[in-house]
Amino acid sequence: MPARFVLYETLRLCDCETHAVFESQVIRIYLAIAVGILAFAGTAIVLLKFVFKKNAEHAWRSFRGWLIMIPLIVGAILLGREATIIFLGLVALYGFTEFARATGLYRDWLITGLVSLGIIALTVFTLISSPEEPRVLGWYGMFMALPVYVVAGILLMPILRDRTKGQLQVIALGVVGFAYIGWMFGHLAFLANGRNGAGCILFLLFAVPLCDVAAFTFGKLLGRHKMRPNISPNKTWEGSLGAFAVGMALPWVFRFSLEGFGTRELILAGVIVGIGSQLGDLSISVIKRDIGIKDMGTLIEGHGGVLDRIDSLIYVAPLFFHMTRFFVGIQ
Amino acid sequence: MMETWDYKPTDDFDKTPIERLSVFPRQPDMFWYGVRFVVHVFLRAWLKVYHRYRVKGREHLPKDQPFVMVANHSSHLDALCLLSALPLTSIQKTYPAAAKDYFFTTLPKVAFSAIVVNAMPFDRKENPRESLDVCRELLATPGHALILFPEGTRSTTGELAPFKPGIGFLTAGTNIPVVPCYLDGAYRAWPKGAWIPRPRKLVLRIGAPLSFADFPADKDGAKRVAAALEEAVRNVGRGFSPPLTWGAG
Repeated sequence: MPARFVLYETLRLCDCETHAVFESQVIRIYLAIAVGILAFAGTAIVLLKFVFKKNAEHAWRSFRGWLIMIPLIVGAILLGREATIIFLGLVALYGFTEFARATGLYRDWLITGLVSLGIIALTVFTLISSPEEPRVLGWYGMFMALPVYVVAGILLMPILRDRTKGQLQVIALGVVGFAYIGWMFGHLAFLANGRNGAGCILFLLFAVPLCDVAAFTFGKLLGRHKMRPNISPNKTWEGSLGAFAVGMALPWVFRFSLEGFGTRELILAGVIVGIGSQLGDLSISVIKRDIGIKDMGTLIEGHGGVLDRIDSLIYVAPLFFHMTRFFVGIQ
Repeated sequence: MMETWDYKPTDDFDKTPIERLSVFPRQPDMFWYGVRFVVHVFLRAWLKVYHRYRVKGREHLPKDQPFVMVANHSSHLDALCLLSALPLTSIQKTYPAAAKDYFFTTLPKVAFSAIVVNAMPFDRKENPRESLDVCRELLATPGHALILFPEGTRSTTGELAPFKPGIGFLTAGTNIPVVPCYLDGAYRAWPKGAWIPRPRKLVLRIGAPLSFADFPADKDGAKRVAAALEEAVRNVGRGFSPPLTWGAG
């Protein structure tokens, strides 16, 4: 057999073992799209700055942020299922740290530590298989049951310390921190265990920011009526409708990566992405406004914190996950 | 309507993760706590194996109140050795005072000082008074401890240099216990200018704590405290432990 054939056969064998999609065509298409979008945005910024002499400082900073983020996440996905899950786990962990620092929860090291451990445990249960079904990737039962244990653990902390003052506040913040940043966002990582894991994750990673961009663009161009002036004064109904329209169209555009999706599933995915991404954005804005801060952190230049970047994904990922699991099947 | 909750974001909230390292007082951070803990477990093992590090007089360390450890200073190992004499649970709240003009200049140094040593940036050149105020504040918080090297710099000969009066300004007229310590062997192990530590034996002697409540809190009192402590550290080095109470003399 010629050497190339042997290599090909070996690769195919690997494919079967590590869930085919991670080495498939889908990633390459997304890679091409990413390079295309970056090139387009880069050209636009250069044009704005040097040809039209506009102030493109903000856009440039945001662009530089993407230049770092996209290679990181695409790199993780190219490395395979485990790398993707661990990368997303670290993102959730850092996101929770930002949440704790913003809300003041970080002063309670026991609850902060416990929720951090919970997020690590969630990542571990996403990686390993249930002993009952060793051939199925990810321990779904434990993944779904973990919030029970973490909430029970959080409730235990004030009891261990025999303390009451301000405890409801730290309990509530801990529960929100775990359920919202750890568990809801964790669904994105669990998608990696699916037959079509990389396809679904890449779809969400591309569609959700595109929706944000659409909301921003339509709002800028057509925005007249403020949507939620108290929460996010820059958001308009026009921008929201534009984002919804784009969100409805995106599953069709990225259909090649959504294996097994029929018309009904594509419509549902569109609704979830089109509405969910905006609700996610608004829900983090509620938190930020209540605390009285502008960004959740400072890690990503031009984007604020990790939470400011993944806010929409947190909302969309679990809804998309359960829709897919119900209608298409994950494993 | 319900009373609203009072969220208190961290003081260094708008700083980037790198900028945050040189902010002091350092905000609690589970991640760096974890890293520091792990590093110190290995550090202790390394000191024990490579330097055959031993601690004498651990029972002299105050248990239920903030205190200051003072010691001779002849190498970069000193602060790490003193930290290693304490229980692992207290390293997160023990701050060796480190020269701001040396340890808080470049990023690798800042990262090492802040993450591993948990150092407090002490501005010995421009604003020592302000740094002493920070120390005073730290010592007013239960559970905290401070490590000071009153010589102000590493000794180039291994001999004890005269103590600077800063420690006196901090402790004269107060009940804060000051623990005199003497680290033996650090100069032979890692003198100023050497690249890497040599495997010399290290012994830390911890003396009985002193307090200087009877000393006047002025310049003269501070100088006398510094002199008394210098003598105490010298004595601990010779193997004596000074009496538990120290009269105004």
